[in-house]
Amino acid sequence: MGEPAIAFRGVSYRTQNRVLLGPLDLEVARGEMLVLLGRSGSGKTTALKLINRLLEECEGTVLVDGRPTREWDVIALRRHTGYVIQEIGLFPHYTVAKNVGLVPRLLGKPQPEVRDRVDAMLRLVDLDPQEFQARYPHELSGGQRQRVGVARALAGDPEILLMDEPFGALDPLSRAELQRQFLEIRKRVQKTTVLVTHDVGEALLLADRIALLEGGKLMGIYSRAEFLASSDTTVAAYRAAWSGNLQFSGGDDSHVGVS
Amino acid sequence: MWEFLKHHRFEITTLTLEHIWLVAISMAIAVLVGVPAGILLTRKPRLRQPVIGGANIIETIPSLALFGFLLPAPWLGARADRIAITALALYALLPIIRNTYVGITGVDPGVREAARGMGLTSRQLLWQVELPLSMSVILAGIRTATVLCIGIATIAAAIGAGGLGEFIFRGLAMVNDSLILAGAIPAAILALAADLGLGWLEARLRPPAA
Repeated sequence: MGEPAIAFRGVSYRTQNRVLLGPLDLEVARGEMLVLLGRSGSGKTTALKLINRLLEECEGTVLVDGRPTREWDVIALRRHTGYVIQEIGLFPHYTVAKNVGLVPRLLGKPQPEVRDRVDAMLRLVDLDPQEFQARYPHELSGGQRQRVGVARALAGDPEILLMDEPFGALDPLSRAELQRQFLEIRKRVQKTTVLVTHDVGEALLLADRIALLEGGKLMGIYSRAEFLASSDTTVAAYRAAWSGNLQFSGGDDSHVGVS
Repeated sequence: MWEFLKHHRFEITTLTLEHIWLVAISMAIAVLVGVPAGILLTRKPRLRQPVIGGANIIETIPSLALFGFLLPAPWLGARADRIAITALALYALLPIIRNTYVGITGVDPGVREAARGMGLTSRQLLWQVELPLSMSVILAGIRTATVLCIGIATIAAAIGAGGLGEFIFRGLAMVNDSLILAGAIPAAILALAADLGLGWLEARLRPPAA
């Protein structure tokens, strides 16, 4: 398997008087989709931001491609890692094409190449370039905006994709649609992905492995089957909350695709 | 009145141009100093209190007194127009610095974080994201400052710097309403025109809501 794409080694992060995360030891394999699952304040977003150095660890080391992130040039590190957050992250004064083409443009790619890349990325997320490239973010639906966000994060062809509640602001239908579409995209573009969510169903649907965080501590790492079978009380509580929702809405587990 | 305007049209035009010149130079200086200062405050928040506080104090000095204070200053004091331009630029600073600071800090934190997460350098963040998104707020500050300066510039005539204030002061001395109006009306029209023109530009530069 070789060295992990991302590794946390004894990493902790705290503000003046509160430990938000850690100590955390965690590895993300190349090409893997790891979901950081936890409630608000569990430290999952903190962990994600430590990877692209939007935050810097207080202790320990975060390694990307075997190199401590502190040793990376921070701009190079961030170009190496695409970043998707809830829909707010699109630049409102840029058209869709300019949003998606920003990183290739900053990388100094010639204009025709940028245009081709934008077209390809929009098609990848199932948006017709002809129809959408000239639109502004406020002229898009929430789901379309989020797709543009994914296209933009992939446009620079990063090795790693970091996603913070990417589908969080969407209505349930668009959310399910986008999750499914994202799985399709993953089949075509195998990027190491770390996704943060508090949604158990989303974690079970998308993850290769689930890392469960509680109060800044890693409770365990589970495959889907392990997560569903675990007798750990915390996992059981998450599972109960989730299956409670399903029963309430009259659904069952079958659509999750549990193997 | 009409006869008066016709008779003095040459002088009115000259003084109006002089007035515009005083305000334009002052505003150019104030923008060149104020916008970078406002940007600096967003990068060094510790400077915010002293700089905004200082600009606030200048704003409270009565304009006639400020012109007077500058009279004994070396180099500046040698020419009335230098004094007038300095004083006007000082008055214009506060709204410009404040609006630049408020505009940039008001940019949606999500947008800023996304930009940083995508690997924009601090300079790229400023030019590609922060300035375009805060341009209408900065321009609103420039607009306020311009209208303010057009008014205050009439007082520059008191120290002999020219402009439409010449008519007003002469009119006051001679108790001649026509003379006062010959200065006041063009000044009011200038202020209105600047307000409308910059307001139009401001609306055009306003970014679409996210």
